[in-house]
Amino acid sequence: MSRAKRIMKEMQAVKDDPEAHITLEFVNESDIHHLKGTFQGPPETPYDRGQFVVDIEVPMEYPFKPPKMKFDTKVYHPNVSSVTGAICLDILKNAWSPVITLKSALISLQALLQSPEPNDPQDAEVAQHYLKDRESFNKTAALWTKLYASSGVAANGSVEESELYGIDADIVQEFESQGFAKDKIIEVLRRLGIKKLDPNDNNSVNRVLEELLK
Amino acid sequence: MHTAAVDAEHEYVYEDDFDGNSFDDTSAEKYTDMAAGKKRNSIMSQESEFEIDDQLYSDDDGTDAYNDYTLVEPLSTVSARELNQGTVPNLKYECLTAQSIFEKMVERVNHLKLIFNICTEDLLSLMQHFDWNEERLLESWTDKMDDLLVEIGLKNASETVSGTQIDASNGTETARTLNFRNNFSCMICCEEKTTNTFSLECGHEYCIDCYRHYVNDKLNSGNIISCIGCSLALKNDDIDKITGSPSSKKLMMSSIKSFVQKHNKNYRWCPFTDCNYIIHLKDTSSLDEYARLHYSPFVKCSDSHRFCFSCAFEIHAPADCNVTALWVNKSRKESANLNWVLSNTKECPKCSVNIEKDGGCNHMVCSGCKYEFCWICERDWTPHGKSFYQCTLYKSDDDKKNAKTSLEVAAKTLKKYTFYYKMFNAQEESAKLDWTLGQAVGAKVRLLQEKMGVSWIEGQFLAESVRTLYEGRTALKWSFAVAYYSDASHNLTKIFVDNQSLLSAAVEDLSELLEIKEPAKIMDRKTDFYNKAGYVENRTSALIECGRDLLCKGICKPV
Repeated sequence: MSRAKRIMKEMQAVKDDPEAHITLEFVNESDIHHLKGTFQGPPETPYDRGQFVVDIEVPMEYPFKPPKMKFDTKVYHPNVSSVTGAICLDILKNAWSPVITLKSALISLQALLQSPEPNDPQDAEVAQHYLKDRESFNKTAALWTKLYASSGVAANGSVEESELYGIDADIVQEFESQGFAKDKIIEVLRRLGIKKLDPNDNNSVNRVLEELLK
Repeated sequence: MHTAAVDAEHEYVYEDDFDGNSFDDTSAEKYTDMAAGKKRNSIMSQESEFEIDDQLYSDDDGTDAYNDYTLVEPLSTVSARELNQGTVPNLKYECLTAQSIFEKMVERVNHLKLIFNICTEDLLSLMQHFDWNEERLLESWTDKMDDLLVEIGLKNASETVSGTQIDASNGTETARTLNFRNNFSCMICCEEKTTNTFSLECGHEYCIDCYRHYVNDKLNSGNIISCIGCSLALKNDDIDKITGSPSSKKLMMSSIKSFVQKHNKNYRWCPFTDCNYIIHLKDTSSLDEYARLHYSPFVKCSDSHRFCFSCAFEIHAPADCNVTALWVNKSRKESANLNWVLSNTKECPKCSVNIEKDGGCNHMVCSGCKYEFCWICERDWTPHGKSFYQCTLYKSDDDKKNAKTSLEVAAKTLKKYTFYYKMFNAQEESAKLDWTLGQAVGAKVRLLQEKMGVSWIEGQFLAESVRTLYEGRTALKWSFAVAYYSDASHNLTKIFVDNQSLLSAAVEDLSELLEIKEPAKIMDRKTDFYNKAGYVENRTSALIECGRDLLCKGICKPV
């Protein structure tokens, strides 16, 4: 029973602090175990001005067991799965303590966006991108924020898939002109973790070709 | 106990055969001749061994000559027997309990206590934090004592800062005791109630229900439990106070558990269900060398559970750990559900009534039509009975010749595998039933004592026989894994298969003997028991030695 009381109190605490720009709502009024939380992307990061929605499942043992959180909004971040939105954060696992609240957990997620932990990645492809080419990573992350996390401007739908993964459009075109399908090229480049390619780098070009021909 | 002479003779017989075969590498007929010769030889040696066995038994009144042979006896008398069991000879280990490990830890801590000026409990936590590595602890201790104490939560961070001293002492008045409070509002459960509360010097106070819930959740982690709000550590006393029961014992156990798991090179839990013994192997340096020779470090806990220290599996000779792992993996993958169907029921080959096997012996008599058949091959029992048991040989004469396409090969491999798996499974099921039989033997011995006036020690031959039977079956079972991976066309494999049939026959004989229920009959056949058990024992050793030979010579190549 204490669980219900605590959840209600936590929601009140979120409402009492509009400055934090965090919201917490039940998905369905009859089910106190399923919530949606939102927070804003931290300024001076590629996630700035984004509104991130988090799906929260509160377990029976709450607050002694951590809530299950995952991003509903697609996020391009080393510690967040770009496919499922699963989050890799210690306080949501073994470092959970009953004094942590849903609000403080959401704030921790905000902090995670601010300072990624690429050495403990959830999404290896993204983490590699982050470590190899920060500038290109930032561009892609900002694009994702604009596409998926902005409430006002809806996605135009005209974004190139290559851009979505931070892949240089020229190299995709180069391989396309050789007669390969675009989907396949992007899939291979993503798998190999190649975002940019020097046409004179025969080794890499051959590796891509080899994969494409498989 | 066997004398070296017997074992030597036995080995001689085996070697003799082997040499004969390898010199004479030409015709298949000759191999069978040799194998037949070997059988004759074995029978001879079997009889001579029995006499010696009998003498030995009567010499020391059948006392538990096997007890703790691995630990107590010097190498010279033991090694021959041990080598024959496929185990690493002269293995030095001790059997511990969590309690005795804890006592050892306390002992070590008491030594260190002279250097550190803190109480035993704190020192235990420190040692735990440093994985029981004294040197590392001492090193860090001299460097940054205070930081360390704060990190582990033995000391409040604020205490080190002068000036907050007053606050801290203020807190200590009510700290580490249960306090009764009116209308206390707990920030964990958000309830306002009149209740007991608990807090440490840090002043983070929560209601006792929440604290208890929190502590109970953490008891199994094996780590130091800290305050809910900060990293200050709870002591064992506090934990007991909070939970109202001696739960700190549970925490200690779980921390020992994680200690054992972390040091799994030298420590291992007995893998048997509900067994709490821990085997500690001090010197693991020779294990690799013995593994190369396909010996496995078999150990025995104080509850007489025998298992392999390397892979924590049951005794798996003649297979080595590698073969065992592959085999187990394979059977898990390929026949997860084949398992039950194959092993539990069969139709009587004559009247098709469904039969469930409820005794260890493979000699079945249909309760309906009285047809006698073999549980394994489902054929008439008569050819099995007196002559040699035929059920272990997978006929692979033209295995490779006929398999033309890869599909056919695959189908053949599966067939071959299914065959060996069936054999393996049949032995496993029988071994399980033998185990139940073993439980019943105690009652039988008591019956002997009551009805026949037999002394307890004299009745022990029954228990001995059951144990021998079980060991024989286990070896036989694992020999099928070895056979599966062996090159079937090689001489040595053929000898191995012969050895299997011999042991198989011996085991079935003994198993049948153990089915006898009337005390008088049992006593009448006492010599039979001795003879058959002795024979099984020798056959087991021979099979294991032969299997190891297969592995060493690379004829059995697990892939």
